[in-house]
Amino acid sequence: MDSFGEHTVLSRSKVPEVTLAFWTIKIMSTTVGETGADYLAVHAGLGTAVTDVITLAFLAAALTLQMRVPRYVPWIYWLTVVLISVVGTQITDALTDGLGVSLYVSTSVFAAALAATFAAWFASEGTLSIHSIVTSRREAFYWTAILFTFALGTAAGDLATEAVGLGFNLGVVIFGALIAIVTAAYYLGANAVACFWIGYILTRPLGASLGDLLSQSREYGGLGLGSIYTSLGFLTVIIGLVALLTARDRTTTKLRA
Amino acid sequence: MSIRTFLYRSVAALLLATGAPAGAVLFAPSAAGPARAQSPEPSKLGNLASFRIIAADGRALLDKTDLADAKARLKDLETAWDEAEAGLKPRAAADWHVLDKAIDRALTAVRAASPDPGACRSAVDEVVATIDRFAGRT
Repeated sequence: MDSFGEHTVLSRSKVPEVTLAFWTIKIMSTTVGETGADYLAVHAGLGTAVTDVITLAFLAAALTLQMRVPRYVPWIYWLTVVLISVVGTQITDALTDGLGVSLYVSTSVFAAALAATFAAWFASEGTLSIHSIVTSRREAFYWTAILFTFALGTAAGDLATEAVGLGFNLGVVIFGALIAIVTAAYYLGANAVACFWIGYILTRPLGASLGDLLSQSREYGGLGLGSIYTSLGFLTVIIGLVALLTARDRTTTKLRA
Repeated sequence: MSIRTFLYRSVAALLLATGAPAGAVLFAPSAAGPARAQSPEPSKLGNLASFRIIAADGRALLDKTDLADAKARLKDLETAWDEAEAGLKPRAAADWHVLDKAIDRALTAVRAASPDPGACRSAVDEVVATIDRFAGRT
């Protein structure tokens, strides 16, 4: 999927090129984010409300940092994504478990909110391209859209489980197949921006299903690694890739300077 | 969900699961065969015995008025139940929510600022009774 980045030359974009490493980190951050929030709420016994406040504070800090730095810095960017992934999931959970909002309603509302974000973004900037996130306003649109893709992906994934009993085994197959279709469409010349955002939404339930497949006990059809080891494994891969991206980014910057 | 839909779903899931790369370890025998055959009318959620044991432990500790230990045991239940969510919920979401709410109420009761022993006992009893009802024992 490297060629997602070929469409434009990046100059001062605040967000990374869309490569295989990008998607790998994105998918794995879903699992890590969810387990992290779950760990604080249940194992550490902080409860949902306190956990929500903590992650929200972390997200506010990371997002402030991300918006302030003049250029793309891998660890800040990916920390923001992981935290948005957690908060997006928590918003959906709070609506479903806390307020008893139906998943049909929340799925529709988040889909509408995402559509509205894209509409406002396009009306304001004349483009939805993720290769030209060069102003604060565009970056604000970018992160708002990302927050809603995570909330929508969570709600839609949960709805699939509740309404039709979709488990993670089948989930990995279905969401994987849908992403394969979008990837094929992209290479066959479909709109790159549309493909990117559809892929971004679909990788949320794929990441969740994949994490469950590894972590759930064999009794339930998983590989039985447990959520802690699965997340630690994913976290290791994420840190390794971010370190690699940072090293590569430094080389590029030096060459450019 | 009717028995027929459930069977269709199980067969479809089984077919897909065995086709997946991790097919060899997907769907342990307990989900498909022997465990089910023993119980006359098993829960759609599958074997909940491990959760029943923890809940019953908690109940016994409450009888001994050992609230701190009972709280700790019920936290084990919370952790185990939470950990198994992705595996259990797709089997029967409605049943899962009924038991989830029952466990929530038990946790709320034992974690109250000044717990009411009677309320704690009946809330934990309800968890055990719900599991038994799903297992077709009552």
